[in-house]
Amino acid sequence: MTTAVRVNTYAHATTHVATNMLRGMKQIIQQSGLSTSKIVGDWAVLEAGIAAWLSSGHLKGLVLEIYDPGKRAGDDLVGRFDFTIDYSYYGDGDGDLWLDPDTVSYTVLKNGSYPSRCSYRLIADTSPGHPPVDGWSTTTFRSTAGFTRHSVGTAIGGGRLGAGLHYYTRSNG
Amino acid sequence: MSVASRQVPSVPVRTSAATWNTIIDLLTPPGTSARADLAAVANTVAMLIAEEYTCEAPIVVIPAAGDRVRIYTLHGAAAIEGEEPAALASWPLAVSGWRISLPCGAADLDDVRTALKPSPHFEVRDVTEGIATASAVPQQSANGRVVIDYSELERS
Repeated sequence: MTTAVRVNTYAHATTHVATNMLRGMKQIIQQSGLSTSKIVGDWAVLEAGIAAWLSSGHLKGLVLEIYDPGKRAGDDLVGRFDFTIDYSYYGDGDGDLWLDPDTVSYTVLKNGSYPSRCSYRLIADTSPGHPPVDGWSTTTFRSTAGFTRHSVGTAIGGGRLGAGLHYYTRSNG
Repeated sequence: MSVASRQVPSVPVRTSAATWNTIIDLLTPPGTSARADLAAVANTVAMLIAEEYTCEAPIVVIPAAGDRVRIYTLHGAAAIEGEEPAALASWPLAVSGWRISLPCGAADLDDVRTALKPSPHFEVRDVTEGIATASAVPQQSANGRVVIDYSELERS
């Protein structure tokens, strides 16, 4: 099901996309069989950072890394989901605010679930010069060597923004 | 018993966390212990707001004395077109012994219940259910049956 709301301002679009990307990540975590306590426990900080960097135009994407703490560091990535931001998804900047949770559900269905021992972290992929937001620190992505990236399509839109969803599966067995 | 009702514009007018901050401002003046109690559950309640459970069913504020307050959040076009809530006639959490009932979807119920365990002022209920009239213990009628306040099921 897709829901849509007629447009408004860029601030409305960034808030809509920020909060719903976080909802989408929570849905992925939940439907993948993992506990949501970690994402919910950091909800306000995550939402503040995503909204701030969408508003400033520095957010390139939001990444969910799923890893197995029992595996060797550097080889512990077991799955990854990316929302990537398209700042000119609607050329006229007047797109409806919409969300398609079915796209997220389909992605989880295609990808499958993870053992409950797996953990996860959320990373904002930002361009240089992004404004600081309390509660966030810098990090590097885990290697995706040996994984194949799949694109599902745009899951969230509004104003001139679109958020495309992608997932990674291990390509070498 | 009477009930006051307020609607607070949420996403996309403000983030889910900012919505809870607006509700905190509605319920408590700065510098009170109740305000700290509300801030302590901000992440969990912001998630409930983001999931729009608080649009389907109200956050019910049950003061130690005085009127109950039902707070709904508005989302999407309703939020954009909605007005900011008027201040309440009094601070409902000024007297200790208050409780707040939060609506939650079935998928999140167990996790939210666990998250709110350290916060005795808060309880969570299935978004499809009303809440009992009594506070900690269900009220018994003269014939021994539990009394349910069906007005809580109605939207203002």
